[in-house]
Amino acid sequence: MLADGLPLDVLIGAWVATGLTLFIYTFLYRDNPLFKLGEHLYVGISVGYSIVITVYAVGVKLLWIPMVEKGQWQLLIPALLGLMISARFFPRIAWLARISFAFVVGFGAGTIIPRLISSNVLSQLEDTISPLVTMTASGLTYTMDFLDPKSDINNFITLIGVVSVLFYFFFSVEHRGVGQAIARTGIMFLMIAFGAAFGYTVMSRMSLLIGRFDDLIMFSGAEYGRPTFVLLALTVVVLAYWVYREKQAFRSTVEEKS
Amino acid sequence: MQYYVPHPASEALLTSASNWMIIIGGFALILGLVSLIQLHMNRIQRNVEGWGYSGVLFAAMFVMVIAGILAGGENLDSERELTGYGWTYSYAMVPLQGTMFSLLAFFVASAAYRAFRARTKEAALLLVAAILMMWGRVPLGEYLWAFSGDIAQWILNVINSSVRRAILIGVSLGMIALSIKIIFGIERMYLGGKKE
Amino acid sequence: MKPSNHSIVSMMLTIDRRYIFVLIALATLIPLLNPINLPIVISPEVRAVYDHMESLPEGAVFLLSMDFDPASKPEVYPQAISLLRHAFKKNMKVIGMTLVVTGTGMAEEVIATVAEDMGKINGIDYTFLGWRPGASAVILSMGQDLAGTFPQDHYGTPIDELFVMEHVKTLRDVDYAVSLAAGFPGIDEWYIYGKDKYQFELGGGSTAVMAPGLYPRLRGGQINGLIGGLRGAAEYEKLLDQSGKAMAGMDAQSATHFVIIVLVILCNVFYAISRQQKRGWRRT
Repeated sequence: MLADGLPLDVLIGAWVATGLTLFIYTFLYRDNPLFKLGEHLYVGISVGYSIVITVYAVGVKLLWIPMVEKGQWQLLIPALLGLMISARFFPRIAWLARISFAFVVGFGAGTIIPRLISSNVLSQLEDTISPLVTMTASGLTYTMDFLDPKSDINNFITLIGVVSVLFYFFFSVEHRGVGQAIARTGIMFLMIAFGAAFGYTVMSRMSLLIGRFDDLIMFSGAEYGRPTFVLLALTVVVLAYWVYREKQAFRSTVEEKS
Repeated sequence: MQYYVPHPASEALLTSASNWMIIIGGFALILGLVSLIQLHMNRIQRNVEGWGYSGVLFAAMFVMVIAGILAGGENLDSERELTGYGWTYSYAMVPLQGTMFSLLAFFVASAAYRAFRARTKEAALLLVAAILMMWGRVPLGEYLWAFSGDIAQWILNVINSSVRRAILIGVSLGMIALSIKIIFGIERMYLGGKKE
Repeated sequence: MKPSNHSIVSMMLTIDRRYIFVLIALATLIPLLNPINLPIVISPEVRAVYDHMESLPEGAVFLLSMDFDPASKPEVYPQAISLLRHAFKKNMKVIGMTLVVTGTGMAEEVIATVAEDMGKINGIDYTFLGWRPGASAVILSMGQDLAGTFPQDHYGTPIDELFVMEHVKTLRDVDYAVSLAAGFPGIDEWYIYGKDKYQFELGGGSTAVMAPGLYPRLRGGQINGLIGGLRGAAEYEKLLDQSGKAMAGMDAQSATHFVIIVLVILCNVFYAISRQQKRGWRRT
């Protein structure tokens, strides 16, 4: 433990995390060796991490322990099917991989049909085909509350939206007359939805930036030894030196050619 | 079968088959791993420019695997302290991946400025919807114009919902058709066959 | 138009993107350093998740599937903290897991940290099951036989020895499940292969990118609520009355959104001027 109470691993971690964050941000200037280093480190660490988790989660907990400790040797069948997937890298036995793929794709196709019909088609249609007016004790009423997603007006708009967008996508005949009007409505709906999607994409990306800046601000604290400031200065110097070297190399190439 | 005939036998079959799928899913990692190793080994063997980075990738992968084995695959030890494996995950992998994706914030802003132009009526509609959404879903927007939050909410709940629903239904029908073709052996592309 | 005006417009339309980068960086940094804490309005979809959690009795089984990776940490991690705090505050039995391999460490960290803060004990008040590959197969398998999918928790303890799992044999025994998702696998899979088949209540938390795609499910009652992005997380923090990273980030979120709105408007103003100029030249 250090005098200020921060464990050494946290302190080193703060410096490493800050350095790697800044390496990646150098890409904003342009592609450079610091970014490439960070990028390849990221891929290597991620793959290494996933290998270990997979080996322990599947190899140890789902295969080794049940087989050796509980005698569930029938698990050799899925293990073999799994191994056979890698046969595709050996041309002479590549056909073996087909058996595994057939099992995986067959299972997927078999389970997906009832699930999609129920979850994505029937349930969605059920909510779309809602009554367009409300029956109350005093008779038929029409609810105009735009803020209530289930109001009669919103049910009507939803119905128009679903039908017109499906029409636009599914009926590939030339859109004329009424068909053109429906397809045009579908396009309008699509454009507004794409706009909403863009707005939410911006929201998402900015949140990620906020998260990283949050960490950089935290690591600029004195208790961490201000790695953000120190490493930012260092990164800028290294980047500037790299740019200088690039320019020098470019100049000498031009001179050689001329 | 199990869906239409929920007999104990078909239930047991689904239980076993889904467990088998999990195990097979674990082995699927090999596919990606071999492709990645092949790609980067090639770069090293051919001394392609920047081959050293492929070396860095292998070194990082190797170190992580060793750290993982030493830690028994655990991020935290019995004292709830980070293991070496957990430390590398928390202080290298998490910031690296997080920062990589946060770069998109800058590029989405640049794209918005450069490409988001009202060239047609449809593009103008998209643009207005996007502005309303960006305005209405942040505290400052709602503070300046309280109604903007309601508009954004309505767009999401009604217009966006109906479009997404149509897409969901369309894509699902396509997937159901594909699955039926697979089951009846009409579609065999996944086996590496050619389109007939 | 004068030629100087034309050159300003074309210069603005082709401005080096790095100026925009600096603008975005400043719009993020300044509010983070000097927050003004603008009021946050609670949306019905976030309140629905909160209200449902509130309605659950002590000892109810709450399954939190943290299906996100480090790329989405800033958006979804604060949601996980808030939901776990809420569940532990209500003395629920908490089951944590993930369907995303690279999210395993974060999922483990968040549940262990929040549990420790709130004095909860692993195995008794909560458990972390870890990760399994196969996405939809994992959910189906859990619906059939949870102990078959996860014979042990993440730390290797057999789940039939865990008090917290005493009456939880399949997904049907879960009172409320929430998937915090950043893509595939996520809320869609939990609904299609989980709730729709095994009948338990399902809520969602997601990145903002994913959120619009989940509104048909929200409208149709397939998920009972949705926490969308950092904004949703901030709303949940406000409902819990516990300020966290999400609420702290809202001013920066506002600032960046408004910078982009201004950029889009400016770009279109310059574009309109340049079109007018071109039309003017054609006429002359």
